[in-house]
Amino acid sequence: MENELFMNAGVSHPPVMTAPSSSSAMLKWVSMETQPVDPSLSRNLFWEKSTEQSIFDSALSSLVSSPTPSNSNFSVGGVGGENVIMRELIGKLGNIGDIYGITASNGNSCYATPMSSPPPGSMMETKTTTPMAELSGDPGFAERAARFSCFGSRSFNSRTNSPFPINNEPPITTNEKMPRVSSSPVFKPLASHVPAGESSGEFSRKRRTKSKQNSPSAVSSSKEIEEKEDSDPKRCKKSEENGDKTKSIDPYKDYIHVRARRGQATDSHSLAERVRREKISERMKLLQDLVPGCNKVTGKALMLDEIINYVQSLQRQVEFLSMKLSSVNTRLDFNMDALLSKDIFPSSNNLMHHQQVLRLDSSAETLLGDHHNKNLQLNPDITSNNIINPLETSDTSRSFIHLPTLAHFSDSISQYSTFSEDDLHSIIHMGFAQNRLQELNQGSSNQVPSHMKAEL
Amino acid sequence: MASADKLINTYVPEKDVFALHFLQSLSNLRTQNPLNSPDKSIDRVRKIKKAAYVSMARAAGGTSRLWSRALLRRAAKDDNKSVRFSRRKRKVTWKISSKRKRSNQRAPVVEEAAERLRNLVPGGGGMETSKLMEETAHYIKCLSMQVKVMQCLVDGLSPK
Repeated sequence: MENELFMNAGVSHPPVMTAPSSSSAMLKWVSMETQPVDPSLSRNLFWEKSTEQSIFDSALSSLVSSPTPSNSNFSVGGVGGENVIMRELIGKLGNIGDIYGITASNGNSCYATPMSSPPPGSMMETKTTTPMAELSGDPGFAERAARFSCFGSRSFNSRTNSPFPINNEPPITTNEKMPRVSSSPVFKPLASHVPAGESSGEFSRKRRTKSKQNSPSAVSSSKEIEEKEDSDPKRCKKSEENGDKTKSIDPYKDYIHVRARRGQATDSHSLAERVRREKISERMKLLQDLVPGCNKVTGKALMLDEIINYVQSLQRQVEFLSMKLSSVNTRLDFNMDALLSKDIFPSSNNLMHHQQVLRLDSSAETLLGDHHNKNLQLNPDITSNNIINPLETSDTSRSFIHLPTLAHFSDSISQYSTFSEDDLHSIIHMGFAQNRLQELNQGSSNQVPSHMKAEL
Repeated sequence: MASADKLINTYVPEKDVFALHFLQSLSNLRTQNPLNSPDKSIDRVRKIKKAAYVSMARAAGGTSRLWSRALLRRAAKDDNKSVRFSRRKRKVTWKISSKRKRSNQRAPVVEEAAERLRNLVPGGGGMETSKLMEETAHYIKCLSMQVKVMQCLVDGLSPK
C-alpha cells in the first residue's frame, strides 16, 4: 500500500523514492496513517489535485525555507480547493505541534533542527502524498487539528504562558501548519490524530491516549507526551465539550468543563489559572457592588484595598457601637425579655401565644401614648430560628392583668420586611413600657431590676 | 450583577432577624451578669461586642457559612463551650500553602490583598482566594446589617 501511495505521488516526485534514511520511519508512519483509508478514494483525489500539487509543493518548499514571509505568499496564492486539501493534510499530519517550532514568531529553536536535517523538498513531497490517502470528510477538522498542534507545540516547548501568536485568520493558521507538514518523521507517531468526528476538546488528553495506542518510534515526542501525562490530576477534570469557549458546570459529572480559548495555551496549569482568575474577577465584581464607592476605582489592587478598608471600618463601627451600647445600658436598664416576647419581629409560632397573653395595659397606653400600641401586635408569619426565650415561658405562667387585644394593630405592621428604624424606636419604648408594666403588676421579679428609675 | 449573585449566593436575611438575635443575646447577657454589673466597662464592652458578633453569625447563616462557623467556634472556644454543627465539620484551619506550591503564578497583587483580608474575615485562613471573596461579600452584607441594627438600638436607647 505504501508503494502504491508513493507511486501515486506522481512522476513529478521521483526524489521521493530516494528519500534519506528516515524513510523507514516514514513508511511506518505512512502505514499507520493509511490504515483506515480507502486507497482508491485517495488515489482519485490525488489525481484530481495533481495539477495543483505542484503549486502546493512549491508553496510548501518556499514556506519551509523561509517561514514568515512566505506564509503570506502562500495564503495569497492558494487556490480554494488546494487550501482545503492542504488543511486536511495538515490536520492529518499534525496534531503534533512540535512542528510549530519553525515559525519565526514562536522562535522555539528546539524544533528548528528537524526542519533542517532532511531535504525540505523531498520531505514535503512524501508528507503531502501520504496524508492525502486519508482524507476525512470533516470540514472543520483542519482548523481543530491546527489548533491542537499549535497548542501542543507550545505546551511541549514550554510550560509557560508565553503568548501564542496565533491569529484568528485562517490563512495564517494554515500557513503555520505548513512547517509542520515538512517536519521530520520523528513526530509522526503523534500524528495519529484525531478521528474525524471527535470534538476538539482537550487535545492533550486525546494525545495521551493516542500515544498509548501508537507504539512506535517517536522518541522526543513520546517524552513530551509523558510529560503531559504526568501533569497534575486537575487535567482530568477538564473534559471535552462541544460548544463555546466558556466554562459550564456539568450537572452529571463533578467536573467543570473548560475549553481552551483560541490563541491561548492549553496547558492544564494555564487553563486552571485562567479559570481561577476568572472566578476571582467575577467575585471582585460582586464585591464592587457591595462596597460603596468602588465603582470609580479601577484595578484589582485599589479595589481590594478599598474592600479591606471597608471591612475594617465596619468592624470598627461595630466596636464603637457596642461601646456606646454598653454605656447606654448602664444608664438605662430595660427588659429585653419583654422586648422579645412582644414579638416585634416575625417570629415562630411558639411565640404567638405569648403575644396573645402579653398585652399592654390600658394604663400603659396612657403612659406611653396611643401611638406606641400600634406597633405591638405582630403577625407571626415568618419563623426565625431559635427565638424562644426561655424566660418568656415563665412570664406567661404568671398572672397577667387583662390587656386589650392587640389585634387591631396588625394591619399597620403587615410588612415586616420593611423594618424601619421608627419601628425599632417604638419597640424600644415599648420595651420600657413593658418593663414598667411588669414592675407594676408583679411587684418583685428576679428580672426586673429594682432600681429601674429611668423615665422615657 | 444580578446574574453573578445567582451563581454566588449572598443572601442575607432581613434586619429584624439580626435584631432579634442581637437582642436575645443581650438579654442573655443581662441575665448572666447580675444587675449591678460589678465588672468594669471594658469587660462589658467586650461582652457586648462578642454578643454582637455571635448573634450576627447566628442570624446570618449559622453554620452554613464558613466565616460564621469560624466565628462561632472562636467564641465557643473562649467560653470553653462546644459548638454543635448541623452538618459535617469543615476543616477551617486547612493550610493553603499546599495549593500555593502548585503554581507560582497567582497574581501577587491579589494574593497580598487576600492575606490582609484573611486576617480580617473570620475563618479566612483556610480559604482559597476565590472562596475568600465570596465569604467576604457575605460578611460585608451581614456586618452592615448588624451595624444598622446596633445603630438603631443605640439611637432608641439614648436619651432624647
